[in-house]
Amino acid sequence: MISKKLALEVLNLATSTGADFAEIYLEENNSSAIMLDNCKVESCQDSLTYGAGIRLLKGLQSVYGYTNDISKKGLKKLALSLSASFNEERCVEVKEISKVRVPKKHHPRIKYSDYKKEDLIKMLSEASEECLKYDSRIVRCRASFSCNYKDVEIFNSEGKQFNDVRSRGRAYIIAIAAKAGAIETSGVGPGAQKGVEFFLEDVDLKKEAREVAKAAVTMLDAKECPSGKMPVIIGNGFGGVIFHEACGHSLEATSVSKGLSVFSNKKGEKIASDIVSAVDDATIEGAWGSGNIDDEGNPTQRNLLIKNGILNSYLVDNFNGRRMGEKGNGATRRESYKYEPTSRMSNTFILPGKSTPEEIIAATEFGLYAKSMGGGSVNPATGEFNFAVNEGYIVENGKISYPVKGATLIGSGKEVLLHIDMVGNDLLRAQGMCGSSSGSIPADVGQPTIRVSEITVGGRGGAIK
Amino acid sequence: MKYNRFFEKANELGIEALELSIVKSNKLSFGFFKNEISSYSIADSYKLSARGIYNGKLGYATSEKIDESTVDYILNHIKENASLSTSEDKPFIFPGSDRYHKKNVFNKVLEATPASEKVALIKALDAKISSLDSRISDVETEYEEETEEYILLNSFGLKLVSKQNYAVVVASAVATDEQGQTKNGFEVKILTDLSELDQEAFAKKVVDQTIVQFGSGPCASSKYKCVFNPKTTSALLSFFIHSMSSEEVQKKTSLLAGKLNQQVCSKKITITESPLLKNVFFRYFDDEGVATYNKTLIRNGVLQTYLYNLTTANKDGVQTTGNGYKGGSGIGIRAINVAIKPGKVSEEEMLNKVGNGVYITSLSGLHSGMNAQSGNFSLIAQGFMIRDGKLAEPLSLITVAGNLFDVFNNVAVVANNNELQTNSYSVPSIFVKSIQVSGK
Repeated sequence: MISKKLALEVLNLATSTGADFAEIYLEENNSSAIMLDNCKVESCQDSLTYGAGIRLLKGLQSVYGYTNDISKKGLKKLALSLSASFNEERCVEVKEISKVRVPKKHHPRIKYSDYKKEDLIKMLSEASEECLKYDSRIVRCRASFSCNYKDVEIFNSEGKQFNDVRSRGRAYIIAIAAKAGAIETSGVGPGAQKGVEFFLEDVDLKKEAREVAKAAVTMLDAKECPSGKMPVIIGNGFGGVIFHEACGHSLEATSVSKGLSVFSNKKGEKIASDIVSAVDDATIEGAWGSGNIDDEGNPTQRNLLIKNGILNSYLVDNFNGRRMGEKGNGATRRESYKYEPTSRMSNTFILPGKSTPEEIIAATEFGLYAKSMGGGSVNPATGEFNFAVNEGYIVENGKISYPVKGATLIGSGKEVLLHIDMVGNDLLRAQGMCGSSSGSIPADVGQPTIRVSEITVGGRGGAIK
Repeated sequence: MKYNRFFEKANELGIEALELSIVKSNKLSFGFFKNEISSYSIADSYKLSARGIYNGKLGYATSEKIDESTVDYILNHIKENASLSTSEDKPFIFPGSDRYHKKNVFNKVLEATPASEKVALIKALDAKISSLDSRISDVETEYEEETEEYILLNSFGLKLVSKQNYAVVVASAVATDEQGQTKNGFEVKILTDLSELDQEAFAKKVVDQTIVQFGSGPCASSKYKCVFNPKTTSALLSFFIHSMSSEEVQKKTSLLAGKLNQQVCSKKITITESPLLKNVFFRYFDDEGVATYNKTLIRNGVLQTYLYNLTTANKDGVQTTGNGYKGGSGIGIRAINVAIKPGKVSEEEMLNKVGNGVYITSLSGLHSGMNAQSGNFSLIAQGFMIRDGKLAEPLSLITVAGNLFDVFNNVAVVANNNELQTNSYSVPSIFVKSIQVSGK
């Protein structure tokens, strides 16, 4: 997007007042979105985001700025304003810039831009019909699709240049079921860092649509969930959102390096039960949260976070790594040039164990089976979390007994990890958007079916007897 | 940028009507950690969003890249996207309202104040928070200032301009006691002028809410009389207002459907919307270019109106209420400066009327623990026991569960302690007759 010569000039201007590191991140992102409501195409939109972010580091200080004006004038103006934050002698000078070869592992076979929007609309419309005809109580089906093609260029004061392209597509289907005085919603959102082939070969959108319809209708007739402490079986796939929110974020250098995480200074210590191992793996081919390089240009890695219950690794970016005496491990991400990058998750999941999901249910005398999880939130300082169960069932005498709605799981990440007493063999990943200080980024959560020996369940169905 | 070229070219391409909205923004932000500046950021950005009607349907495109290709990029995509639309909604590009109530809400002084002064102000605040209690182990403070110029233009010759600026101060504190217990608290304040920041009071608020949680724990699971403080009332109210959206009503996903002019909540509740209130949230036109106006949404518990944009109003054969704001894709519905009319009693007097119950100061996980349609919720909460009309021991790790509509139906008393919240709502504490609390 800019010449090496201009990059060199901007980097040297930026470091003229004593910054020890400078970086220019440029992107051009073409995205399209389609929204259907009850099979009608309500809106189609194309967007072009375009701009540059410049970051200067000096010791443990960072300054960041961005602009849409990536002309020589625009970039030099930004570099000059940022450099005004420091007032010392130059300590780095960029003599030349050489391009680092980035192997492209996650490349679309059929580009979205080569595929007709009409055909994508047909796919969404057919899935919506499946959803609507599933049951007369499905009153509304919303289906949407979004894809983007992002061109990224990074230059830094170590004289390196990186290029990457990222192509993602995701569909989302929401079923809304209603009867007198009650409305229930269920949704699913498969996506990948692939081209159209993902929707043609990997995922059956109609089947997904029927399943969300079924879940919404089931919840319509569900009883209110009882409250109290009980064993909880958390379903595979999106059930991993609890691990993501309550543990994954606490392993990011952003909070670890400042001593603000419950897992700060815990490397090598036991933080989970022995049967728990977990990874963050940005190298899985075509996965939603994968990448060829991270947003600092580091090659991505498979980072083993927890090994048999022992904390093995954090997710580290180069800047926060400075506080920790560690190098970045390919985990630095940002939503766009409008965000200063920091350590983030990619595809984060608990590794499979030995039990079948049926065995886990059969081994549970009484408890909640949280088949499908909703979102939640976590207090980063205390690790206390709160998650909604979208689709839940009471398990009695080793069997699924009846559906319950309105359940919330409450606890602390630290305790839940230690109380996982069964891990299934049915690992599944699911797609989500993860929001944090460097914006909203695509990330996979995942896990096999797991059982936690005790979690506080909130619900409106009265205390358990 | 010469915007005329868009309108000329649109005409040539057979685009029946075109609307451009341009947002230019400048931002300054910085943060402190351990009383050292840890981040500093400046930005200027530009975004052009366009909607156009082609063959009777709407198409959309936006771009941040401004060069000779922009006009074609925008207009070709509008044409393509409009051609794909099968929406039955009648599209509107609005010629303009008869009268607009424009006010100047731009503060030149805030913009002109040197960054170094703002940095010094926050550094002092940061130090103040640390100094107030020895158990405070970490403090993080942030300042963000934004100046935004918004221009709305369309092919009917409508041109509306607004320029606003504001600053947000965020402070969070972590406290650790001798037993190694960790508690945290945070506070946000939106300012239109730096003088509005009362450093002492703000610092005290952050520290008090953190320290007071020591020794907190769950109460016994039971039904309790309950007071929601202004912050938590506002969070609940935002879901209630969402149900008043005509879009939700028309799509049968609001439980307020068919309830116009009926009792939908307690008689004690009167709710207004005042977009023309001169504050940081002020809007004199919505994102469709319709003049906004102040109105009563609920009077003594009776629903007075749904919230409309041009498209949904046309469906119901009524006038738009000027609540068409961008959201997701297209024009959604939002309300600005919503207020619950203050009652006659102070919060203290309200607590006296409660006698024994719970006082809720924090609700987490609203985006997942609240079903926006059915209003069923189950949320992790913090607060205090109310004993003999006074706040008593602190509560944590409890959940409150109920139904949003039941909560507003069961309001027994509205206090007079309205506070402006970050979502633009001005609300007091409310006393709800009964709520299910799960604890130990």
